[in-house]
Amino acid sequence: MIGLEYIIYATIGICLSFSIILLYTPLKFKANLAVYAVLVNALLTSWVSFPALYGNIVEYAINAGSILGNIAVRIDGLSAWFILIINFTSVTGIIYGSGYLKAYNSTSSKINLHLILYNIFHLSMIWVCMLQHGLAFLIAWEIMSLSSMLLVIFDHHNPKTIKAGINYLVQMHISVVFLSIGFIWVYFQTDSFSFDAFHTFFAGNSNIWLFLIFFCGFGFKAGFIPFHSWLPHAHPAAPSHISGVMSGVIVKMGIYGIFRIITYLKTDFLLLGEIIVTVSVITGLYGILNAAVHRDFKRMLAFCTIENIGIIGIGIGIGMMGIGNGSAMLFYLGFGGALLHVLNHSLFKSLLFYAAGSVYQQTHTRNMEKLGGLIKHMPKTAVIFLIGAIAIGGIPPFNGFVSEFIIYSGLLEGMKSSSLSQLSLLILSFAGLSIIGGISILAFTKSFGTIFLGHEREKPDHQPKEVSMRMLFPQYIIIVVMLIVAFFPQIFLFTISNILRQMIIPPFRLESSVFNIYSSIITNISIYSVLFIGIIVISWKIRAYIVRRNSDSIQATWGCGYNGIAQKAQYTGKSFSKPLSKILNFLLIEQKQYTELQEGEIFPVKRKYASTYFDFFEHLFIKPFIRRLLYAFNYFKFIQNGRIQSYVIYGIVFIIAIFVLTVLNIIQ
Amino acid sequence: MLSLILQLIAAIFFTGIIIRTKSIFSGRKGPGILQPIKDVIRLFKKSAVYSETTSFIFQIAPTVYFSSVIMAMLVIPFGQSKGIISFNGDFIFFAYVLALGKFFSIISAMDTGSSFEGMGASREALYSMFAEPAFFILMGSLALLTGHTSFQEIFSALHIGSYITYALAILATFVLLMIAMIENSRMPIDDPKTHLELTMIHEVMILDNSGFDLGLILTTGYLKFAMYGALIVNLYIGVIPYGFTIPLFFIIQFLMAFMIGTIESFMARFRMGHNAQFIFALTSVSLLIFFGALLILGKFL
Repeated sequence: MIGLEYIIYATIGICLSFSIILLYTPLKFKANLAVYAVLVNALLTSWVSFPALYGNIVEYAINAGSILGNIAVRIDGLSAWFILIINFTSVTGIIYGSGYLKAYNSTSSKINLHLILYNIFHLSMIWVCMLQHGLAFLIAWEIMSLSSMLLVIFDHHNPKTIKAGINYLVQMHISVVFLSIGFIWVYFQTDSFSFDAFHTFFAGNSNIWLFLIFFCGFGFKAGFIPFHSWLPHAHPAAPSHISGVMSGVIVKMGIYGIFRIITYLKTDFLLLGEIIVTVSVITGLYGILNAAVHRDFKRMLAFCTIENIGIIGIGIGIGMMGIGNGSAMLFYLGFGGALLHVLNHSLFKSLLFYAAGSVYQQTHTRNMEKLGGLIKHMPKTAVIFLIGAIAIGGIPPFNGFVSEFIIYSGLLEGMKSSSLSQLSLLILSFAGLSIIGGISILAFTKSFGTIFLGHEREKPDHQPKEVSMRMLFPQYIIIVVMLIVAFFPQIFLFTISNILRQMIIPPFRLESSVFNIYSSIITNISIYSVLFIGIIVISWKIRAYIVRRNSDSIQATWGCGYNGIAQKAQYTGKSFSKPLSKILNFLLIEQKQYTELQEGEIFPVKRKYASTYFDFFEHLFIKPFIRRLLYAFNYFKFIQNGRIQSYVIYGIVFIIAIFVLTVLNIIQ
Repeated sequence: MLSLILQLIAAIFFTGIIIRTKSIFSGRKGPGILQPIKDVIRLFKKSAVYSETTSFIFQIAPTVYFSSVIMAMLVIPFGQSKGIISFNGDFIFFAYVLALGKFFSIISAMDTGSSFEGMGASREALYSMFAEPAFFILMGSLALLTGHTSFQEIFSALHIGSYITYALAILATFVLLMIAMIENSRMPIDDPKTHLELTMIHEVMILDNSGFDLGLILTTGYLKFAMYGALIVNLYIGVIPYGFTIPLFFIIQFLMAFMIGTIESFMARFRMGHNAQFIFALTSVSLLIFFGALLILGKFL
């Protein structure tokens, strides 16, 4: 077996040589070259991670000089699980992207930069999963954030895109601040940046605060409330394959980080678990509520990502409560459900983003109110979106149900032996999860119905048609994998149980009987799903047999006697979700802009009406805070006055200060 | 198996009894109890009219809707005899399978491009969403009370405890009955007899369905009634021998149908705007059951 070091150097080599070759490749072949580069990198890293899933941990230490010391690079089960997910989504993303970018008549340099960044971005995510050293981790994390930010602003002529990109950049750096504080704290206590130092730290210090700092840091990436506000801006701004990869895997890096920290925790599992469950339920509810009202379909998908992060978080939380309660079953169901949902969400969310991208490519609008009836022009994309929508609602017979069922079972399992406070939390989470499911049906029936069904609401500039095979192909592959998860979940559960066994958390032993009970139930569910499909097919056959001689006629839709084509009178996405937003108007803040009808205005003139929904947290907490901050910072403007002379003075003052402080032995 | 057969038999009579009750209360003789079935059979033979706006979604949706209810019926137990499908957490499967049918019936309404049908679809999605937590808290509390997580085990264990569990069963009956009303679009949530599209919920969603598909949707409605009825029956029968439970099953189903007929004869539909609040209030009844369960388990002490 080839060592990890060779793979590492090989992938970096491929990335570099690809970047150079790309510059001299004709525009036509650039995308193909990028697909091969990403594919080879993905295959190499998958090959080395695959054995790690089953307990063969691969390790290597890079000697990085005296400052960083030995940087441990390790792929264990947890890293391998995330690396494989990253690889799969990145490969489908680049294949889809190579078709998607064709529609842009971009210049060669723009494409070059985009493809090179994509490659770096892919590798940096793998690095994040492998590195076991605080500073090196932060560097990889930073490369990942920067490269993804540059990928987001592909369409940089649009000021909104730039704004979204900067918003993302700033928030990612707040996240880095939290992470740095965390790592430095550990460094001061243990004199080591290595992840292994966490063991020492957590054994001797309070677990709560450091964990919460890391939770905030990683929460920014993952999009937990109230750190979510970059998602609804960045996802719509990015090209669709980037949104798919970002939503599919980048936010999962936050989840990976949380998982990684949990493996080092020693105490306070119960309290932290309860905190995570509470935050996650709120995140899930908030995300899906917003998804239900927004009409920009990529923004809606971004909010839906927040919802799914909430579901994953519920799993993580109950897993931690399981450790706290000493219940192996709860640990398995919570973490297992969360890990499986990470995979599932990366599948159906990238699928939905790709399908949404196909719609955007053909219609050049992200506003679903302008669309309609696309199922007739783009039937394949419509079916793909439908499958994604059903799967993301957690409805059988698709894969979303498997992971949601495990998390539901975890909540039920938690109720067996718990205190009053835990019971109340669990039952409310149980109800919360069911509301999330209900609203996600509302959100996705709305989106699917408005985009693909009915009449077209506005005449398009050019007739939309089905997208190219190159764009459809990766989506088909994703659907195949989704079906494998749905019908052969035992493979994945077995893998997950191996990963969980590697997550050594004392004083804890995982018996295989624990896994077997639920593995058999989940296997049965997949059989029942087959039965369900069987019933549908049989009913359909019976129906076809009975109606075979009928002479069906085609007529206009019932319009209360009016038989003209009433495109404008169709129910819109806005009106579909209006009752919900009206009930929850304290949370879903709507701003309407219109002029009231004046007295004496007899003849109607053309008038405008606009309504937008605000992000509750962004507008009530973040924006006012930033406004105050800007106000305060105004007083410090004189420091940045644009005169080189004063900047030189600052430099001199700084050097003198360092000198004096060193002499006085204040800093060493 | 027993449960499925009983549900199918109950489905044949259920809607007929409701209609008969209503006609007797309004002073008419009314149609025979089997009239709804005859209507459906007549519809099955008819050709359909499809809207030119619709796609294949509109054609497969009734079949998926029907199949989802059949699938859900397989999960329902009858006393000691399990449903055909029974596993830990099967009630989650039950709710989510029904959700697939709902998903398709909603998008099929959207498929017609009609202004009315979208309205019905929106309401249906909203109300069933609000009903969801009530069902989950109810089942979660019963699971907590009994320590089991499958329908059959929950229902048979419910009777081993003290008599106070029957108080919970009555509350649970109320919740389930109301959920049945919401799911079947009956009074006081929806008025199946209204003639104005703007005030309909379920009826307006199926305005454009005709022929076999309409028959299938109506059949599904009948089956759904029997299914929820069977759930309610299960709250009471426990481990009593079949000799008593099978007649009890039909008595309770009859009482339920009679009650629905009575409600529809003497009540008006709620204002549309208040429906959501009413449905959400069911969740608080479910929470009462949860507190009851906690009381019985002595968790407060």
